[in-house]
Amino acid sequence: MKRIASLCVVSAVLASPALAEEFQWAGQTDPQTMDPHAVSSAPVLGFLNNVYDGLVRMSKDMEIEPSLAESWEPIGEGEGWRFTLRQGVTFHDGAAFDADDVLFSYERASDESSDVRSWFSPVTEVKVVDDFTIEFYTNAPNPLFPASIANWMMMDRGWAEANNATRPDKESGNFATLNVNGTGAFMLEDRQPGLSTTVVPNPNYWDAVEHNITKATFTPIQNPATAVAALLSGDVDFVEPVPIQDAARLEQDPNVNIIRGIETRTIMLGFAHEADTLKYGTSAGDANPFQDVRVREAVAKAINVDAILQTIWRGSAEAASQLVTPALSSYSEVHAERPAFDPEGAKALLAEAGYVDGFGFGLKCPNDRYPNDEAVCQAITAMLAQVGIQVEIDAMPVSNYWPELRADNFDMYLLGWSPGGSLDHEHPLRFLASTPNEEKKLGSWNFGGYSNARLDEALPSILAEIDPAKRQALIDEVVGIYQSEHAYVPLYTQPLVWGMRSNIDLTQRPDNFFILRWVTVN
Amino acid sequence: MLSFIIRRLGQSVLVLLVTGLIAFSMFRFVGDPIDNMLGQERTIEDVERLRAQLGLDQPFPVQYYKFLEGAVQGNFGVSYRQGRPVSEILLERAPATLELAAVSGVLAIVFGIALGVFTAIRRNGATAHMIMAASLIGVSLPTFLIGILLIYLFSVELGWLPSFGRGETVDIGGWSTGFLTESGLKALILPSITLGLYQMTLIMRLVRSEMLEVLRQDYIRFARARGLKDRVVNFRHALKNTMVPVVTVIGLQLGAIIAFAIITETVFQWPGVGLLFINAIQFVDVPVMAAYLMLISVMFVGINLMVDILYVFIDPRLRVDRAGGH
Amino acid sequence: MAETQMPSVEAPARGKGRWARFQDSDFFYAFKRSPVAVVSFAVTMLLVLSAVFAPLIAPTNPFDPASLNLMNGFTPPMEPNAFTSESFLMGTDDQGRDVFSTILYGMRISLFVGVAAVLFAMVLGIVLGLISGYFGGWTETIIMRIADVQLTFPSILVAMLIFGIAKGFTPVEYRDQMAIWVLILAIGLSDWVQFARVVRGATLVEKRKDYVAAAQLIGRSPWAIMIKHILPNALSPVLVIATISLALAIIAEATLSFLGVGAPPTQPSLGTLIRIGQGFLFSGEWWILFFPACTLLALALSVNLLGDWLRDALNPRLK
Repeated sequence: MKRIASLCVVSAVLASPALAEEFQWAGQTDPQTMDPHAVSSAPVLGFLNNVYDGLVRMSKDMEIEPSLAESWEPIGEGEGWRFTLRQGVTFHDGAAFDADDVLFSYERASDESSDVRSWFSPVTEVKVVDDFTIEFYTNAPNPLFPASIANWMMMDRGWAEANNATRPDKESGNFATLNVNGTGAFMLEDRQPGLSTTVVPNPNYWDAVEHNITKATFTPIQNPATAVAALLSGDVDFVEPVPIQDAARLEQDPNVNIIRGIETRTIMLGFAHEADTLKYGTSAGDANPFQDVRVREAVAKAINVDAILQTIWRGSAEAASQLVTPALSSYSEVHAERPAFDPEGAKALLAEAGYVDGFGFGLKCPNDRYPNDEAVCQAITAMLAQVGIQVEIDAMPVSNYWPELRADNFDMYLLGWSPGGSLDHEHPLRFLASTPNEEKKLGSWNFGGYSNARLDEALPSILAEIDPAKRQALIDEVVGIYQSEHAYVPLYTQPLVWGMRSNIDLTQRPDNFFILRWVTVN
Repeated sequence: MLSFIIRRLGQSVLVLLVTGLIAFSMFRFVGDPIDNMLGQERTIEDVERLRAQLGLDQPFPVQYYKFLEGAVQGNFGVSYRQGRPVSEILLERAPATLELAAVSGVLAIVFGIALGVFTAIRRNGATAHMIMAASLIGVSLPTFLIGILLIYLFSVELGWLPSFGRGETVDIGGWSTGFLTESGLKALILPSITLGLYQMTLIMRLVRSEMLEVLRQDYIRFARARGLKDRVVNFRHALKNTMVPVVTVIGLQLGAIIAFAIITETVFQWPGVGLLFINAIQFVDVPVMAAYLMLISVMFVGINLMVDILYVFIDPRLRVDRAGGH
Repeated sequence: MAETQMPSVEAPARGKGRWARFQDSDFFYAFKRSPVAVVSFAVTMLLVLSAVFAPLIAPTNPFDPASLNLMNGFTPPMEPNAFTSESFLMGTDDQGRDVFSTILYGMRISLFVGVAAVLFAMVLGIVLGLISGYFGGWTETIIMRIADVQLTFPSILVAMLIFGIAKGFTPVEYRDQMAIWVLILAIGLSDWVQFARVVRGATLVEKRKDYVAAAQLIGRSPWAIMIKHILPNALSPVLVIATISLALAIIAEATLSFLGVGAPPTQPSLGTLIRIGQGFLFSGEWWILFFPACTLLALALSVNLLGDWLRDALNPRLK
């Protein structure tokens, strides 16, 4: 009713450019906290980007742009970074924003109790130069530092101290878990954890206002079918994600629009490189064939990624050749090709490696972590069976999945990786390809224990290299190594499918963050 | 009499302890809560520290004892996911589930009894046969499918009813009710039908068979012979006498309604305790799961105890025969 | 039924075969006269037989991953696939499995789980019911107390609890094979109470009768008395409960599957198929949900109708 009424108003008052509207949206996961330093997860950081600001932020096409810092420059020869802050910005409660709040936010976010403190591991010292200048010193030249703190959000020292929330408290929560005092474009009006979260525009926002929302409410809806139904019936204006199978049908509905993009997450298969024997399946107890690079290559060749994209993903995903997507600047163009689908070649490789009759093993797979994860694993099972490898699939909820992987209970596993923070190739190199090393905090998600000396040696240079060309050359070399050794079998990059009523305009960002500032209700 | 009640009370406490133990030991297999609490850049030290803070590094009996100690004082700890006291969260969510259960229960009872009486009186009529057969369709499909089909029909295709949630609610002294707004009432329709369908069928069939049984008793025949009107015979005499077993079953089904609310709430994104429980399983929110299960068992054991005591008051002879009932 | 106590009643039927005696019985007469019973019996038998002989009937073996072609995925019923130009009676699902074959194989799993769970519940219920009714005392108190609690504790929660615990105790490498057995255990354990109550009730009545006292006097063992003399008297309500429980067990398996604790997706049951299919309700691939749902409906409905009719037919007071 309301919408019809407002449409009449639009036609009557053509001049009014931004007609105010209430906006309802739904996502799969509720942001579990309103504290920007307590939990480093996409639902939390994505939501809080609407109410809090960082020093820098990501633009619509994932370039960093000024936010609370107007500009930044390197100090000396890579000693650190100096940020010049924006003046005249106030928090939602009216307090002024200055360098002391940045220092406080640094102390808060780099504290032991913070979940985002790894962003600050290269930082050795933070100096407040004056009210609107602050310097970050790093242990080594760090060209990626400004980009890596795009989700580091500024909190007011006075507010946090007055409300006893000077440190994040993940275990029992504090004032900042349920309340927000940011500088962002929206202010938190109502928060019912797990049920709904309502925000209203910040009248004193420092940046130009693009949206025309008067009030926006987020509701988590877990069951994808229910979310689609809600969108179709107009109960919500926007839904993410839309199950890929429903996208085509929704596109035909005149009241609904769909936008598709490619996410930064790459889905891949990992191997138990270090295990001497297979743990599951018909060949359990036998020597581990995946230690042989020919077998790993055979797996890569046996999987018909195009068929997976064609059917399960309905043409919306992209095949992957590396641990990051071509959308990222550090993608290695020279290694863009992935092994072609070649079942005969796979059989030949298996025969060459001494597995003429194939073998049987166990594939671990999550069933609620990535869209279609279980379906993809099943499809892989069938494809490997066709070259003579019998797969025993063990699919489980993610809450069981990570403990299993960490306990080395797998022969092969499915993994998705999104290069959080820096959005750079170094991220998966550090976490997935580097030899696991607890002290240096390397390879912490390299469950299979893949190890290559040259790669380990090159990684620190990649992190510190300031010259883009030299840096890319190093990355190209390392990508060549992990590709030729088939350390992982990259499969595809996930599509991002968002659905909205046709009167909504918005922008989809590849990191799957939904930014309310860019929403227009027509 | 008093010793009977005390004995039953003692047994109930024992049952609660055992349920608590079973529920609590199950959580060890649901997964590891730490993974959902830390981001992908966490280190081994972060994991160890959090584990120690949550007391997960302690031996199982110690954890169980601490849980019981808190639970007895009504303190179920803090939700791992929301960082808020569990009791607060449960109180917040309870009205949604209770209202849904109440509406479903009333629907089930009203329609169940009405249709049961009808099908009993018109035992051989075509309509009665149709109703009996149709009622079976409702129990021959899983609840979640019925819910999804209802959404598809009434929200998506017809656009009459909301597809999810509770609509607008009004807060009265901490109790959020959906009864007072139009959207709240509309939102109740589909979930309560989904949830109540099974119980309605059950009550209808029970009333029918009890009625048939009673209707052939001598006193009903005498009543008819005395020339009493059919209506009076059917309702004043027959229906009244079927009520004892029906009430018993309704009491027992209260629990089932609350439990199946888990599924209905998941399908309709109904913000009650059932949905809370399912989310808690997903995120290995052990304190929430434990509190929910303890709450449910307290409720069930309580209902059971009350039924037992009531029976003794109504008819002491039933003390022996009761368990042999239906 | 009264055979054991008073064989003379059945005397006129002697000399004929069992089948002939059955054909003469009131029971069979009532069955023949009820079209609902005949039809639902026929449908049940048809479904059960096609599940049992699935490997002979089904055009493909959906449980053999090597035979699947992903490119066949989402083929509509009776239409050739755009890539492979293969055609399927009821279409294919997201993995390119023939829906018709998958239903037949899935029904095997559903029926196996259902029947095994009900048998398990029945045996457990009968044994506990006999024991508590016959021996009485504290044995009875404990058993019936557990029964009371379990009756109020919703079956779906009991099943989830048992599933969770059993999964925890199963070694990881056997988890997949164990899933089916754990389901049977979970559903069976949540369902034994009704059997126990009925059997106990019957036992309490029969125990006081003279022939039991006589049997005790001549020194027959309690078990022999319970099984040979008392149990037959409880068989008809047990049969009715078993039939209705079968339908419930099949539905319960489907519900558990929706909650993510069902049969593994590589060997889907009807319930798992419906869970998978409901994801395609809005996308236009209606057949992935429609056919399995209809099969489940037909199966559960016919078993339920049969149970309904059995209850009326075996209840002498309603004749």
